[in-house]
Amino acid sequence: MVSLLDPVILQSILLIAISGTLICIAVHFIPVGGAPAAMAQATGIGTGTVELAAGSGLVGLITASYMYSSLPDPQSQMLLILASGAMGSMIMIACTMLMGSMVYAFGVGVPFASAQVKNDPITGDRQDLYMSKGTQGQGLPTVCFVSGVIGGMLGGIGGALIYYVLIGLYSQSAIIGTSAAAVAGVFTVGVFYVNSVIPSYGVGGTIEGFHDPKFRRVLPKDAFTSFCVSIMCGIVAVLIAGGM
Amino acid sequence: MSEIKEIAPNKLVLFGVLGGLLGIYLTYLFPVLGMKIGGNVGGLLKVIAPTFGALGGICAVVWGADAVRRVSKYGLGTGVPSIGQIAMGMGIVASMFGIAIMAKFPLAGPVVSLVTASIIGLIIGWFAQNVIKMKIPVMVRGMTEIAAAGSLIILGFGVAVAGNFQFETFVKMVFDDGLILAVFWIGAVAILHPFNATLGPDEKQKRTTYLAFSTGAITMTIIGIGAIMTLGLSGAITMMLGIILWVIYYKKFWDEVYKDASSVLGTGLIPKTEA
Repeated sequence: MVSLLDPVILQSILLIAISGTLICIAVHFIPVGGAPAAMAQATGIGTGTVELAAGSGLVGLITASYMYSSLPDPQSQMLLILASGAMGSMIMIACTMLMGSMVYAFGVGVPFASAQVKNDPITGDRQDLYMSKGTQGQGLPTVCFVSGVIGGMLGGIGGALIYYVLIGLYSQSAIIGTSAAAVAGVFTVGVFYVNSVIPSYGVGGTIEGFHDPKFRRVLPKDAFTSFCVSIMCGIVAVLIAGGM
Repeated sequence: MSEIKEIAPNKLVLFGVLGGLLGIYLTYLFPVLGMKIGGNVGGLLKVIAPTFGALGGICAVVWGADAVRRVSKYGLGTGVPSIGQIAMGMGIVASMFGIAIMAKFPLAGPVVSLVTASIIGLIIGWFAQNVIKMKIPVMVRGMTEIAAAGSLIILGFGVAVAGNFQFETFVKMVFDDGLILAVFWIGAVAILHPFNATLGPDEKQKRTTYLAFSTGAITMTIIGIGAIMTLGLSGAITMMLGIILWVIYYKKFWDEVYKDASSVLGTGLIPKTEA
């Protein structure tokens, strides 16, 4: 039986809680348009929050675990593992947004415009002139793209951090031992899904990125929820390693 | 609109919990019985045991799909798939915890998983209702049920692949070869698809439930293919039974669709030129 008050264990639980919160924050950065965006009637990528966050996060998990397995002493190289997780996620989300933009620009034929700001905070371009009547903006303006890449980075770091903490714990566990990678990976997927669905309920399906007024309104309560839920997941994860 | 008689949620909870747990425990009980009886009957019991896990999983799918239906009716804003994914996320965390912490007393594992999942679901539901303020009156109960159903789905179909729910066997047979991802994903689709496909003002519980049986049976078929790899003959039985159940329930769903539609007409292809 593991003692929950052991400093190493407490640190692990806290790290899992922080990673869960990072994943939650990441979801807010990713420009998600849901079904309206699929019809080019809202800014963002035309699919659900969970699909995008999980899609990029899981690629981050793959790159992080690959880095973990190819380092000679992985437990002392936390930064490298987190960085490779972040890279994987960023590449994935950037590819998704690039291909989505190609479809919006050359397939649907809409100019990219944000409905939430008058000028793009990064390029300074006017947005409202290019917005079609009766829509909530279309496509992915520069600010959304940048925001999405930041989101991918945070999500990748979050996923990689959970994996790093759990594989460290499980590889020393008597009952898991050699299967540590598989169990840690699957557990990470579980925590990832919980933490990417919670904020998607908060944002209610669509968000443009960090420039969206919704971002500031919903982020604190979503992050708080994710932190509490991830602490619980962390305790559960730590107890698995010990058995009874 | 006339009132349509629906199956009460409590009845479906009982169906899911009892059916799911019964299926999972029978996979444990049958090999023990088979040892005692011995001979051909004993051998047969041992071979068909894992199939009951998958049948228990189908009970959990039907229950979970109804819970998804009750919650998603209010409109989540993020689409129904998200709720199937959070169900599996919570379910996998809880079921691993249940069977790992009870590694020395494996018989208690499934019950502990179910209770843990319910607690996790309750907490997430409470947060969704009171902190995120989703304003869905059935959120707390719905999340609890969905999480619990998720854990039973993972355990039921996992047991069909592993043969029993001892942690060591489960990890070796389900996790190491990656079949857990099949259980995770196909289980998620099984729970979210029925309502996602039938939602709308004319959605009826009977139709959704038949579709849930059929998605559960598809999951059983695919898990059966996976189980051929790990258990051999038992997997083949799971797969065959899955196909049979799928055909039966898909036909029932099909009939229900024809009954609910005012009429079904073949319209032909869209004409190439305007008339």
